[in-house]
Amino acid sequence: MITETKPTTHEITVTVNGAEHSLEVEPRLLLVHLLREKLGLTGTHVGCDTTSCGACTVLVDGIPIKSCTHFAVQVDGREVKTVEGLKGAELHPIQVGFKEEHGLQCGFCTPGMMLVTSVLLEENPDPTEEEIRWALSGNICRCTGYQNIVKAVQWAAKNMRESA
Amino acid sequence: MSSATETEHGGWLGRSVKRKEDDRFIVGRGNYIEDIKLPNMLYMAILRSPFAHAKINSIDTSRASALPGVVVVVTGDILAEHKLAWMPTLSGDTQAVLATDKVRMQGQEVACVIAEDPYIAHDALDLIEVDYEPLPAVTTPQAALADGAPLIRDDKEGQADNKIYHWEAGDAEATEKAFVEADKVVRLVTHYPRCHPAPLECCGCVADVNPATGKATIYMTSQAPHAHRTVFALVAGLPEQNIQIISPDIGGGFGNKVPIYPGYVVATAASLLLGRPVKWIEDRTGNLISTGFARDFYMDGELALKSDGTMTGLRVKMLSDQGYAFADAQPSKFKAGLFHIVTGSYDIPAAHVVTEGAYTNKAPGGVAYRCSFRVTEASYFVERLVQTAAYELGVDPAELRRQNFIPPEKFPYTSATGFEYDSGK
Repeated sequence: MITETKPTTHEITVTVNGAEHSLEVEPRLLLVHLLREKLGLTGTHVGCDTTSCGACTVLVDGIPIKSCTHFAVQVDGREVKTVEGLKGAELHPIQVGFKEEHGLQCGFCTPGMMLVTSVLLEENPDPTEEEIRWALSGNICRCTGYQNIVKAVQWAAKNMRESA
Repeated sequence: MSSATETEHGGWLGRSVKRKEDDRFIVGRGNYIEDIKLPNMLYMAILRSPFAHAKINSIDTSRASALPGVVVVVTGDILAEHKLAWMPTLSGDTQAVLATDKVRMQGQEVACVIAEDPYIAHDALDLIEVDYEPLPAVTTPQAALADGAPLIRDDKEGQADNKIYHWEAGDAEATEKAFVEADKVVRLVTHYPRCHPAPLECCGCVADVNPATGKATIYMTSQAPHAHRTVFALVAGLPEQNIQIISPDIGGGFGNKVPIYPGYVVATAASLLLGRPVKWIEDRTGNLISTGFARDFYMDGELALKSDGTMTGLRVKMLSDQGYAFADAQPSKFKAGLFHIVTGSYDIPAAHVVTEGAYTNKAPGGVAYRCSFRVTEASYFVERLVQTAAYELGVDPAELRRQNFIPPEKFPYTSATGFEYDSGK
């Protein structure tokens, strides 16, 4: 039975895409709603509500997590990176790769796909197709663009290696 | 395409054309339904039935209504006062917006909470008390058509059983003759099971009825904004020019975002009654259990052949599990889909096809998941049947197909179910 009284709140400090924010949040507030509703970063999407589809993937201290089942209070004192933080002065090669290789259709899964890819390529600059598919196995694309998503990751890997 | 442009780079064929929408998607600046926020906006959450079939004795919303932040709890009885408790489907049937008398599927919409905050709206769902009296549930079309089956649509005047339609195409007598004279008869009994399109983005809307102008602007996950405008006009009794349906970026649809769902209607009605924008974002459970499924066709058919493999007749009986409302995406395409395609690309001189639809205690649907309009079912069936025939005759399946293709000199060709193939090209 839920309570009908106002829940207590916690103050958290979190760095999102390099900018520090101090916020008062309910302990039950989901990280994805902190990002979308409190900070206006709507590039992170909710697909399944259950950690299954990966549309809500963000990086917490450089590690991909599913923000739809992560509480905002869990990122207190941590660094979060969202799709909005991928681009620097210019588009990230992963973003260019997804566009060049038609690695997206509806675009709903794309932020999660790109963020996981960024971690993969940091750890493994020259992954095999199997390694790419394994790395992205927690991210679902319902337009079934997996073939081109793999090509997009390969395009990015090649271009990042050549410019390194 | 101008010829000047073609000459400049030798034409578009084989060239890579970059998509315009990618630029916003890859930087996280798409504009999906959930991204839309309007001033003074309220949020809606839906209470769904835990039973597949039950009588509703009472709904007590008093505790939910008293929760701070809740603006209103909408029930079927409130909608009925405005003649909005039921809505038309795209196939000319009716579907409950919010249940009044009974629930007829698990996940059916029973009440909606409108609140200042989406978390509060969901909290209040737990405070609504519904007294259900469970009834026997019908979960297959065979059980639905059996003698003594519980009547699912007792709300419909003149509906004495669970039959929805009975359609036939072709020539029963000529087909019977072909089977009597056949050297070989091959039979296939199969079920193309129910599946769900499951777009990655669930359904949702932001309904904004402006009390000053009386105009409704509805941002929604719609694959058919023009058809939806017509349905909204019919349901709300507004002229079409007072309704604007805006379909922004959509996170996949695959046919699932063609039907009208109760969530859209209640959000719009609430916005009309409250004079404030109302946002509804469906959760994944709601999407999977209540919105448009695809397929669910039981198919039983036979192919008559001569001993040399020439096809002489086809007869098929199909039975469709429609759920508790007939809501196929586009009924006028039914014949062009199922009946046209069921003879495949084959020169079959006689065919007879019967298809029936039945109500069950399941979600309505019959949407065109990645094509269909029942084309997929027909195509799946005839090709499986031909493949089975090849195995039983011990011949190469490709050769059997080639042998029976409509020959070029027969075009334009009229199939045994009465549809014309113009050229075969």
